[in-house]
Amino acid sequence: MAKISVYRFLSAGCNGCDVEILECLVPRYKLADLGIEVVERPEEANVLILTGGVNVKGKEELLKTYETINPPKIVIAVGNCALTKEIFDKGYPMVGPPDQIIPVNYYVPGCPPRPQAIVKAVADILGVKIEEKEDYWLAPEGFRGKHEFDREKCMGCGTCAQVCTADAIDVIDGPDKRIVRVNYGHCSFCAVCQDECPTQAIRLTREYHLVTNNRQTTMVSNEVDLLSCSVCGGTFIPEKQIDWALKRITTEKVPAYSEFSNEILSAMKICMVCRRSIKNIREAKRLLTRLSEKVRGF
Amino acid sequence: MPETVYIGPYRPQLVEPERFELLVEGNIIIDARLELGYMHRGIEKLFTTRTYAQNIALAERICGICSGIHTLCYAQTVERLMGIDVPERAKYLRCIYMELERLHSHYLWFGILAHSLHEHEAFLKIMGERERVQDLLEYLTGNRMNYLINTIGGVRRDITPEKAEKIRRTLKELKPLSDYIMSLLDDNGAFTKKTKGVGVLPRERALDVGAVGPTLRGSGIASDIRKEDPYAAYDKLDFQVIVERDGDVRAKALVRARETYESMKIIEQALDNLPPGDIVAKPGEPKVGEEVGRTEAPRGELVYYIRSNGTNIPERVKVRTPSYANNFAILEMLKGERLENARAVIESIDPCFACTDRVTIVDAKTGRRRIIALR
Ligand code: SF4
Ligand code: SF4
Repeated sequence: MAKISVYRFLSAGCNGCDVEILECLVPRYKLADLGIEVVERPEEANVLILTGGVNVKGKEELLKTYETINPPKIVIAVGNCALTKEIFDKGYPMVGPPDQIIPVNYYVPGCPPRPQAIVKAVADILGVKIEEKEDYWLAPEGFRGKHEFDREKCMGCGTCAQVCTADAIDVIDGPDKRIVRVNYGHCSFCAVCQDECPTQAIRLTREYHLVTNNRQTTMVSNEVDLLSCSVCGGTFIPEKQIDWALKRITTEKVPAYSEFSNEILSAMKICMVCRRSIKNIREAKRLLTRLSEKVRGF
Repeated sequence: MPETVYIGPYRPQLVEPERFELLVEGNIIIDARLELGYMHRGIEKLFTTRTYAQNIALAERICGICSGIHTLCYAQTVERLMGIDVPERAKYLRCIYMELERLHSHYLWFGILAHSLHEHEAFLKIMGERERVQDLLEYLTGNRMNYLINTIGGVRRDITPEKAEKIRRTLKELKPLSDYIMSLLDDNGAFTKKTKGVGVLPRERALDVGAVGPTLRGSGIASDIRKEDPYAAYDKLDFQVIVERDGDVRAKALVRARETYESMKIIEQALDNLPPGDIVAKPGEPKVGEEVGRTEAPRGELVYYIRSNGTNIPERVKVRTPSYANNFAILEMLKGERLENARAVIESIDPCFACTDRVTIVDAKTGRRRIIALR
């Protein structure tokens, strides 16, 4: 391709991505070596880099800008706002994501993506190889990049989905399996899920080269088995979560309960609906009385 | 016959999308008006749909440049609502992280200024050296921007002796950058030539339009929330409030340049006196009521108002960002200015429209209606 002239378009993001794009211009990323320049007018551009989720006011401007740029009109959406509107998803003035308005060719997830990720993504798109020799290509220890599940540890409780700051995690229950799915294209990379997971099963890794041409692929997920209710047979809770809860009650919280492990377990294996039947309420009450007698030392 | 000139939102491109309408006679701007809204995301509404804990990431994304100070201001206000006592160590750590943020934000401002003054070499040098702060922040917090280091009750990551050493080393490496910027601003410096006497905001006008931060301090008024209403550990740290008298773009630049040295001084002191202990307090419950918190963001005073109904979701969050207050100063500074200086003036207050655009369009009430708005 001939010279690459990039025009930046920003609407309704936090500005973080836009600054990181400017940062790509500094000598150490050698953007000029790739034959790339950043221009200030869409008439001079043939590549459009979008950031932000686009609001009502930006929509028309975006359409106009897209019309104006020259072929081949390659559009790269940088940052999760430009992928999915991220944390602003439910904001009332938002009309994006941008690919609902104009065609988008590539997506660079991140919040914001490292300049390294942006430079590498552009190079990949141009088919240029970049040698990642210098230290700064490696994300430091503790970096918050793409997620990873520890499949052994994840019990499917869905705490991460509850605490997530950007509604990036979905808990999807099938007939006998539960899927916990992180959409890192919708994520703010806050790592709160990592901090709050009761079993330290979700972790943000140092992987940050995440460019893709299909934003349906920006997912990481884990699957766990669901348990059937011992009364009605319907599935209702992950098996592993029951094991975890039982262990927590009988070994960590109240070791004195351990002799009742079996009874507690059978009580827990009854689903929320069946628990309300008179017979089961009576049994649960009986168990509770025995448990409290135990700790009070009767 | 006066004519109307438009700057922005996308042609030519300012750092952020906004539209300035300038009424020009000959080459002189006689009136200015501002149209916003290209960044509006409805954040204040979104605040009332999530929990206190989740909202901190949203506060951070009001502005990606001064993201940390938004989380701090939000966290401090919520801490007051919840009656949480933040551990001493966390207070010092907050000062360190926030001054690092001030450094990167001020350097970025100089980069942008160099860009709008067409000083390409200076732009590359400043932005290139600024990477040192970004790398450091990434190493300390796990992200270069939007680092979510503050949390309700304290901070999320500690500074080990090893990390402290790295901070000290980086500060040493950054001194030459500040010196370089000072040299651009001395009597024959490249910045001085293009910014001296440009966009003057006299002391009285600065007060009238309610300017804050370096914009106000550049007009000779010593106002800094870190001193006036100290938060975190600022009352225990020794630093100076930088003031310049001239009120022009150069004065605002000088304020920022000299502030970078003060920030380094604050960080070094905080590292030297870092008390031992926890970095985060136990969470609390919000009482029914309201609280106001303020902090000194890199661009000036930042205010949060939060009203609670006792649930885990706030009833109202109102944010007054520094750039919002400073917008009126830009319009003031543009009047009487030469057209070719307009861009430098606009970028001199470091307008952060991501901040401002939480609210709907503001009409600069000039009283005069001679400008015909486009569309
Ligand atoms: S993706 Fe993140 S950094 Fe980029 S504009 Fe959106 S909120 Fe800001
Ligand atoms: S890091 Fe985890 S909690 Fe934070 S936005 Fe992403 S998925 Fe949600």
